[in-house]
Amino acid sequence: MIHDSLIRERLVTGGKTASDVTRDIARPILNKPSTAWKVGFTLSVIFLGIFVVSLFWTLWTGIGTWNINKSVMWGWDITNFVFWVGIGHAGTLISAILLLFRQKWRMSINRSAEAMTIFAVICAAMFPVFHMGRVWVGYWALPLPNAFGSLWVNFNSPLLWDVFAISTYFSVSLLFWYIGLIPDIATIRDKVKTKAAQYWYRFFSMGWNGSTRIWARYELISLILAGLSTPLVLSVHTIVSTDFATSVVPGWHTTIFPPYFVAGAIFSGFGMVATLLVVARKVMNYENYITIGHLEAMCKIIMLTGTLVGIAYLTEFFIAQYSGVEYEQYAFFNRASGPYWWAYWSMMFCNLVSPQVFWFKWARTTPWFIFIMSIVVNVGMWFERFVIIVTSLHRDYLPSSWVMYSGSLTEIGLFLGTFGIFFTCFFLFAKFLPVINMSEIKTILRNRE
Amino acid sequence: MGIIDKNLSLRDRNKMLLGIWENEDKLVEATSELVHARVKIQDVYTPYPVHGLERIMGVRRSWLSIVAFLCGMTGFSLAFWMIYYMYVQDWPIDVGNKPVRFSPSWVPVLFEATVLCTAFGMAFFFFFRNRMIWGIKPELLDDRQTDDRMVIAVETGEGVDEKKVLKIMKDHGAVELREKTGGVQTTI
Repeated sequence: MIHDSLIRERLVTGGKTASDVTRDIARPILNKPSTAWKVGFTLSVIFLGIFVVSLFWTLWTGIGTWNINKSVMWGWDITNFVFWVGIGHAGTLISAILLLFRQKWRMSINRSAEAMTIFAVICAAMFPVFHMGRVWVGYWALPLPNAFGSLWVNFNSPLLWDVFAISTYFSVSLLFWYIGLIPDIATIRDKVKTKAAQYWYRFFSMGWNGSTRIWARYELISLILAGLSTPLVLSVHTIVSTDFATSVVPGWHTTIFPPYFVAGAIFSGFGMVATLLVVARKVMNYENYITIGHLEAMCKIIMLTGTLVGIAYLTEFFIAQYSGVEYEQYAFFNRASGPYWWAYWSMMFCNLVSPQVFWFKWARTTPWFIFIMSIVVNVGMWFERFVIIVTSLHRDYLPSSWVMYSGSLTEIGLFLGTFGIFFTCFFLFAKFLPVINMSEIKTILRNRE
Repeated sequence: MGIIDKNLSLRDRNKMLLGIWENEDKLVEATSELVHARVKIQDVYTPYPVHGLERIMGVRRSWLSIVAFLCGMTGFSLAFWMIYYMYVQDWPIDVGNKPVRFSPSWVPVLFEATVLCTAFGMAFFFFFRNRMIWGIKPELLDDRQTDDRMVIAVETGEGVDEKKVLKIMKDHGAVELREKTGGVQTTI
């Protein structure tokens, strides 16, 4: 028996029944692609082409096509890596942490957020892998004895922790996403008409027929996976932050990094979820499933995490001053007033100042405004990583090593190209799999009594 | 107990009575009533999880959490052994002349390996237990049971009062009653 709350707005509006849910959400899969889908997909493939060309140029000529140098040895590549890994955090956060907290509003957005996680982690992995230069020996990062003797990987290095963290995060997120998809793939299997579609949906549905015995175990495995993914999602960005925090570079060597990076990751992840869903709900007619209430909840999280990140920025300054270490003090003074001041103040405006607009209900409930703000959030979070990496590296301990750095055309092409990978994958996902979790949404319909 | 749950297969059932529902609450009432009447329910098929139904049916709590724990312990042990062998036994790396032994820097890799083994070990067990394999043919009793309809399946045989079962089903909101013999279904 479902009871209506007197205070809370309905999570699904429009008086939908279970069969309406199937029909509405499966519509893009069962019908021919819409014009909007075709236009979006074509644009994404063009950007994917930019990635392929830039990557080819990198591999053909070498890492010299990037502007990184002996002082700024991490530039756009690691900025982009951390940017994409951060975006990849919202998916598991929404599915796992919000599931443990029994937040039912997650049900409309968890599927697309999880998909986003997987695609974002693929984009992220591109950068450290190709930064290696000789990508064909990339397997040396794994704990395997190499061909020249018993030389193993270094378990003291955060870069190795990253290999384990990102690969585990990707695999477990993929598993979580797939297990969540099985009942919905079965629903689509029983609706599609063509032989090829029937074959593939049957193949991936693993014989699902909705048995209560299986549902009981399914609920349990989802809960345990959520319990596992919660520390996992926190560990991944913590480990990414230790890539910086365990070094002795002023501006990086700070214990605030793990919580600050995790908050930033959630912030940027929700920013990207908002970007995608504000568009998807309009184009795919999902306004009854992804309601203004859902957007509002996301805006509140964006505001909270943006403020947390802002406090971290200010704390860094305080600690630099309080430490009495002149290198640390100079690093932060240089960030705010040195040659990269524009990047620093863009970051401050986008991440700390602009999300405060969500204190106003109008801002939280106006989709076009949320869309603009979500872009601002992601621009800000890209600048955050750029500021941390480039401003800390470009002024070395030796003034003779001081350099300026800006991304080359190839680096810019690779970054834009990853948007091609991301959106190509997302458009294919939206065409072939249900963007909203149908079986979960059916549990919260209010007109079943 | 074998790993694969034999209760799930419908292939070897002689004759079954099927009730179809479109309302979850009535389905729960009917299931409860059938259990009270000591009718052995083969299974209930729903397009979404109906909470509490498995308890009414008397399905035992799954062993998944124990399996998850064992897989986690295995992952942790394997990772510990791997790091110890590579880092302490086979090729110790001298950093600042510090003793080479367990240090907190092992924790991230140990944690990730534990999570990885737990998740995949548990998932494989889940798939085996539920006969879930890629490409397997689904056993469906109604073509809308993954959409909006719910099915209660009761296997008939000695000691099963078919009339009583059908009456309970009808009285508790079944929109359709069917009989399944082999692969053929007939509406009652």
